[in-house]
Amino acid sequence: MPEEVRTEPKLASPPRVTRRTLRVRGTDVTLLEEVRLLAIEDLGFDVEFENLDFLTCQHRAAMDPLNYDIYEQCFHNLDIVWYWGALQPIETERIKQWDNIGSLAKSGGISKYTWQGHGDAPVRKLYVQPDGTLGQQPMPQISMLPTAHNVDSFGYDRRLFGEEGPEGSSWAWLLDRRARGRIALVDEPAIGIFDVALAAEANGDLTFEDIGNMTVDEIDSLMGLLETLRQQGFFVGSWVSPDQAEALVRDDRVSVQSMWTPSYGNLGKMSGIFCESFPREGYRAWHGGASLARHLTGAKLDMGYEYLNWWLTGPPGAVMARQGHYMTNPEGVRAYLSAEEWGYWYDGDIARCDLKGPDGRIVVRKGQRRPGGAYRERVSRIAMWNTVMDEYNYAARAWKRFIASLGTATP
Amino acid sequence: MTQIIMPRTPAGQGQEPLYETISRVLRHNITSGRLPAGLVLIEGPIAKLMQTSRAPVQASLRMLNAEGLIHRFRGRGYLVGAAGATSQPVRKSLDEYDFDIPEASRTALAIRGTWIRVYDQVEAEVAACQIFGEFRVIETELAEYLGVSRTVARDVLSRLNERGLLRKGASSHWLAGPLTARTLREKFELRSIMEPAALRLATDYIDPVQIAAIRARIDRGDARDAAELEGALMRHCLGRAPNGALVEIIANNRLLLSSMDKALIDLGLPVDVVALDQYRTLFDLIGLRQVDAATEYLKEHLRILSFKSLARLKIVALIPEIETIPCYLVKV
Repeated sequence: MPEEVRTEPKLASPPRVTRRTLRVRGTDVTLLEEVRLLAIEDLGFDVEFENLDFLTCQHRAAMDPLNYDIYEQCFHNLDIVWYWGALQPIETERIKQWDNIGSLAKSGGISKYTWQGHGDAPVRKLYVQPDGTLGQQPMPQISMLPTAHNVDSFGYDRRLFGEEGPEGSSWAWLLDRRARGRIALVDEPAIGIFDVALAAEANGDLTFEDIGNMTVDEIDSLMGLLETLRQQGFFVGSWVSPDQAEALVRDDRVSVQSMWTPSYGNLGKMSGIFCESFPREGYRAWHGGASLARHLTGAKLDMGYEYLNWWLTGPPGAVMARQGHYMTNPEGVRAYLSAEEWGYWYDGDIARCDLKGPDGRIVVRKGQRRPGGAYRERVSRIAMWNTVMDEYNYAARAWKRFIASLGTATP
Repeated sequence: MTQIIMPRTPAGQGQEPLYETISRVLRHNITSGRLPAGLVLIEGPIAKLMQTSRAPVQASLRMLNAEGLIHRFRGRGYLVGAAGATSQPVRKSLDEYDFDIPEASRTALAIRGTWIRVYDQVEAEVAACQIFGEFRVIETELAEYLGVSRTVARDVLSRLNERGLLRKGASSHWLAGPLTARTLREKFELRSIMEPAALRLATDYIDPVQIAAIRARIDRGDARDAAELEGALMRHCLGRAPNGALVEIIANNRLLLSSMDKALIDLGLPVDVVALDQYRTLFDLIGLRQVDAATEYLKEHLRILSFKSLARLKIVALIPEIETIPCYLVKV
């Protein structure tokens, strides 16, 4: 029992117990109000969410390590915070569902025959090695508890590109001349750079020896190509948050652009016209998770573990599923979804009824089928992962200059 | 390249070449008997005492050798006294003698001392900016900034060039950076080739008492950070290798890396306790004269350090160029 309960003077009315609070710093990928309310309901303490954009979140997690207890982000930018010494290892023996966590996170692919993908596959950052570095050799301590994840592609206008056909679309469409003047890119460097790199390699403009770890020369070539295209008026601009991307589609200002899964449910009358692609080269994947702040000890550390364990209990995974994201222990989520929801989101079935998103609005219409199909089909086609590559400092600075020259495409 | 020399220093000062001044001081101390016959003279300690670089000391030692005041011997450096005298080499610090720097020479050296201080400042600034990208160094701005002549500014930049912190661009501009992952990887690759080799060469020259003292510091928790122990490794182990050229290349190769570490520490990078532990083990092995194990361990330590440095460089991407970058450095 916390100190304050014992020292409270005896009163006629029941003692007022100061609720303990756990502070979570993260991004709007997982820090949904619906998730927070569920957590407070299930856990014996309050949960505060500090919702930041990707870059601010990493920066503050590293440089301001005392003002949060849990860090919720992605594996691909974990290096930044981990090697700054802001986090502590998680003991897997304290994670009740550890054995039910899928092999995509634990060993790199859903089966031993699937390719791990270029770049920062979560398994390469998962296990804490004896020398304090992160690697894929299994160890009893991990850096981040794997939770929500997904595979991304780009969105395209069917009126311009037509149907995808049996082979699927190609990342080349993202820099397609037919869409000149109607292309937008996401500003986040660990994501946007790879959207265009996949496109440039798919259309034959450039080749990368290892697209997940580009050299300085390759980065220079890529930025040179983008500058040329910019001068030719290819881009309408960049977007920072998904709602900006959705507004660009609703206002009919883009024919193809970087786009994330939850946005496809928010396109209004453009739904069915602006579609999620199924690129033949494969997806760009990401994997989220939660980490423990370095400063946690004793009772506060126990709360941290309670919260991590709670993420794998099912209800939060169901919220994630309703915006299209997968959980690392899918079977644990199943009981909290309707048969129709499970069928559409995880099994790739045709929706048998309208489906609601986390906030209760309808995001999927009866008769739709998820592009790319079932979970296993989609995650077995990962071309690469969001990545903070070795030359990130160099690449991100060049990217930032390029994005600044585009301007934000605020509608 | 021709440039107008702007004489800022008052006339009459600093006109004499530095090696002349140093020669005069050494000559004075030898002929007056302050330095005994057989004393080993090495340029490093003399340079330190006179607050100059090593090059002019080398020149003046060659001069005194030609004059017959000192002579070469089988070891490193020179012996005081004319050749032929069968004196045993005396290896003692100059501090132990009543070494005298006459007032006039002192003034001349003090001016040079300013140069050294100026150099250290510029070296630190030029190295630190490189994590933020590529910079052009404007010579006139630098002279203005330091309040020195363009000649001095150019000397400073030439020295940085020699040490690999600057280069000349296609249009003869001085360029610094960017410090990329490629640069970092290359420098660590060089380290893992040269430093274990130097450690092996140095084996018989390492002072066990020093190593024990360092170990005691680590055990008491007095070692501030990994940078301190890295410095100790350089000074007391690698630097003892009887190959001055190798030691110099190692020192120059480390410059950019240690200034990156310093820049990151200034940004708030906490002490790396794993690295402290690794240094403890390394100094244990060196203290035990386990040469093979120590060199292998040093290699592994450098591999891990390289990996961590690459990861730490990534956070710099999130930090805007600091306003404290001095005005003579202009972003390319």
